[in-house]
Amino acid sequence: MSETQLVNITIDGKQISVPKGMNIIEAARLVGVEIPHYCYHPHLSVAGNCRMCQVRIEGQPKLNIACNTGAADGMVIKTQEAAPEVAEAQRATLEFLLINHPLDCTVCDQAGHCKLQDYYYDYNAKASRFIENKVRKVKAEVLGPEIIYDGERCIVCTRCVRFCDEITETSELGVFNRGDHAVIGVSEGQALDNPLAGSVVDLCPVGALTHRRWRFNTRIWYTDQQQSVCGGCSTGCNAQVNLRDGKVVQVKARLNAEVNQEWMCDEGRYGFERFQPESRLQSPQIWQGKEYAPIKLEDALNATQKLVGAGSTGAMLLSPFLTLEETWIALEYATKVMGLDAKSDQTENIQVAVQLVQRPLTKVEAVLISPDYAPNARAFNLLGHALAGNDWRATIQKNYEALLQRVRSGQIKKLFIVGDYALRAVDLDPQLRSALQALECFVATSAAGLDCEGPQNFAQVVLPGRTINEKGGVLVNKDLRLQRLNVLLQAPAGTYPEWSLIKRMAVAAKQPIVGEQVNDERALFREMVVKREIFKGLSLMKIGESGLSLAELQKLASESGTVVANA
Amino acid sequence: MSKQHKKILTNNIDFADQHQLAAYESRGGYQAARKALKMEPDAIIAEVKASGLRGRGGAGFPTGVKWGFVPKNTGKPIYLLNNADESEPGTFKDRVLMERDPHLCLEGMIIAAKALGAHWSAIYIRGEYAYPATRIQQAIDQCYAKGYLGKGIFGTDFQLDIVMHRGAGAYICGEETGLIESLEGKKGQPRIKPPFPAVFGLYGCPTVVNNTETLATLPWIIENGAAEYIKFGTEKSPGTKLTSASGHINKPGVYEIELGYPVMDFINNECGGIRGGRNLKGLIVGGSSVAVLRGDELPPLNMSYESMAEAGTALGSGGFMVMDDTVDMVEACLNLQHFYSHESCGQCTPCREGAHWVEKIVHRIHAGQGTAADLPLIEDVCTQIAGHTICPFGDALVVPVRSFIEKYGEEFQNRIDSAIVSQIGGVSVGNAR
Repeated sequence: MSETQLVNITIDGKQISVPKGMNIIEAARLVGVEIPHYCYHPHLSVAGNCRMCQVRIEGQPKLNIACNTGAADGMVIKTQEAAPEVAEAQRATLEFLLINHPLDCTVCDQAGHCKLQDYYYDYNAKASRFIENKVRKVKAEVLGPEIIYDGERCIVCTRCVRFCDEITETSELGVFNRGDHAVIGVSEGQALDNPLAGSVVDLCPVGALTHRRWRFNTRIWYTDQQQSVCGGCSTGCNAQVNLRDGKVVQVKARLNAEVNQEWMCDEGRYGFERFQPESRLQSPQIWQGKEYAPIKLEDALNATQKLVGAGSTGAMLLSPFLTLEETWIALEYATKVMGLDAKSDQTENIQVAVQLVQRPLTKVEAVLISPDYAPNARAFNLLGHALAGNDWRATIQKNYEALLQRVRSGQIKKLFIVGDYALRAVDLDPQLRSALQALECFVATSAAGLDCEGPQNFAQVVLPGRTINEKGGVLVNKDLRLQRLNVLLQAPAGTYPEWSLIKRMAVAAKQPIVGEQVNDERALFREMVVKREIFKGLSLMKIGESGLSLAELQKLASESGTVVANA
Repeated sequence: MSKQHKKILTNNIDFADQHQLAAYESRGGYQAARKALKMEPDAIIAEVKASGLRGRGGAGFPTGVKWGFVPKNTGKPIYLLNNADESEPGTFKDRVLMERDPHLCLEGMIIAAKALGAHWSAIYIRGEYAYPATRIQQAIDQCYAKGYLGKGIFGTDFQLDIVMHRGAGAYICGEETGLIESLEGKKGQPRIKPPFPAVFGLYGCPTVVNNTETLATLPWIIENGAAEYIKFGTEKSPGTKLTSASGHINKPGVYEIELGYPVMDFINNECGGIRGGRNLKGLIVGGSSVAVLRGDELPPLNMSYESMAEAGTALGSGGFMVMDDTVDMVEACLNLQHFYSHESCGQCTPCREGAHWVEKIVHRIHAGQGTAADLPLIEDVCTQIAGHTICPFGDALVVPVRSFIEKYGEEFQNRIDSAIVSQIGGVSVGNAR
């Protein structure tokens, strides 16, 4: 491949060197100029129909649309900031867009994060001169099981149509009718029901497409907007979760070119609360021969002492729903307190493994979804076993199954299961059940109550954990990208994050892993960064809202290394 | 007295059997195609360039130059499309050609296909043209039966397949990229340019879209040479033009006239003058998308691209519409704006919303509910539509309303003034807002 040719362009008097052919909207962003747009999306084809992004390019007779213009050497571009005719064209475009718009902002879900509202205040802010009757169109057309359409609010930018044509390649949507009667619709006998269908609501710059289940829920300005990551699979889609009164009222995908563009699957979007068990364990439990009895946390921790120094008959099984920091502290506990070998991946002697279950995907699902239920399984690749290649899923799954086999065959006598879902009910075959019951020592942390099917039904000591929605920290996605997970839901009283339980267990064993001052997730993160070479120079700030790739992480580590050497 | 126009296209259209292959051949048909298939493609292109033939669909772009944009050796097939979507209001010239002399259209396509190296070609015919479509299909069938289409045409190794495709009646499918989208089975909406069809056209391959009349002119040029062709017409507008005359004239119809022919002579001679000896009030010379001309502007003008450009209008597609002094110009304008608002494809914001807005304002003025602010508002809206859309439809839709207001402003103003007077007088006029 030839090197990318750089060209010099001028935008509103600011010079910049960009790759030849770079989209002018993107180039303008680099110099801090916003070119308003509706139909343009960085990950969809160019439609050029909204006419909001018109700019003046010197030497051209007419205004050009920035979205369909590539940077060429010596190009001089004037935006609305520098060319009055561009500002006038944008004012007119907004006037056109609003003449048939119902202006029902007072009841619209998009109000407050609507591009029509934003741009109107920025680029028009004048009264309309339209005094005729507005065109009436469909107000509540059901497009699919989750999506409903308002034709009057629609600006026919066709982002949703292009998404279904180009990304999912399912082509359910189309533009019907002509002129100012043009509306979006589904073809006869079809429904907008593909596995990524909810993404069209995120793509809609106005309030035309809305979620049926979240419609008329709340005004956006009353919500608490959390920037987080979806914990459904190892893709790690960037998401914004809007909460009101502690409840999820909307989930939106966040733009991240490296991970999910701006898409999200319906399973992740609408199933955000599926990780919340029906009943919760709110105090430690101990098996008393016939039934479980609640005990104090202190006593429970002391009761786990039997595990310590278990040697070759002990083992640890980790949930893929733990955070990176939790995986780290669990592995520290496994090696330092339990004396296990976390690095060995010899299946016949496996002592530490991460649970991984693969899943089959349809062609459309495979556009975004990863074939696993393991949002953070690769943290184990960073911390435990050597970095696996493309077959990392197979490797982790093989180790997981080998560990279960060792339990079945009685080679493992003492087991510590960290985190919910670390042993799914489906994997609990009769042989494994009896093997678990026969274990000399079996400790589990679990968010799910004892009436839920799971490993907590067999453990001698069960500690009350938390779900992925109730934790903050870092997740490592399938490409070994570090991304920040935020606390979304408030945990019930009496539960503890897994890292906190392990920290206390280590203290009870008189072999503390982290100091007493480590009493929140940020402190734990700092502790992990200090103790592991691979994280040298890392901070939560550097991970930021869009994450940090392995290459960037390694670069950071090598740079930090140099600084230390020089000092 | 009527001038004896030399005919290039319509020599044989009055023969009742001209649509039959045998009759067409008996009058010298397919000789030009035989000749062209023995020529080098570049020689054909050079001949057409030398003839100065300009596209007859409306824009008047030189045909030879258009062909020259097609890139060579891309490894992709090249497509030739015959644009027979003739939907410009007032235009019905291609219809006559296709009905009366369909083989002439096909022969032109064979010549163009040889010049371009195209082996697959389509005629995109407007859906309402049911009868011309049967004639074209019959001609295609006859050619296939005789081996004039398909493999090894006229004993050469040249292959050409022609398919007829009937549109569904949208004006915008006459725009070349709208036509290509429609032919691909999509909604007829113009594509964003660049890339241009010559590089990225039908199915992403190099494509040339030519008007039916343009293609039908090719056999004569190949047979008689460019040097003979440029003897007709003017320097900048060589040749002849089919003109479909309609409106308040005594003899409406399709006439082939030499370019450069004075407009008034055409009206008075070929068209037989204004009906009932009335006064000529206005003329739309080349389809609804060109500016209207007042009767008193016409005497110095002639039927050529340059003369019309000088007068601020265009020769366009040949849709020649004559209006006498009985015409209410506000209503005529409303009629045209209704057409444009109905035909806007709805893709670009300014055209989608603006076309209807303009129509609604004109409608209001026509209904006697205009206000003083309406004419400046129309002008402002038109300014923001023209040049701000993907295709030239936006430019086309503002031309009639702007020119009608410019040329007949007093009629619009009178409507508005009387509306204001009647409102002040307390008389309710229609449904007041």
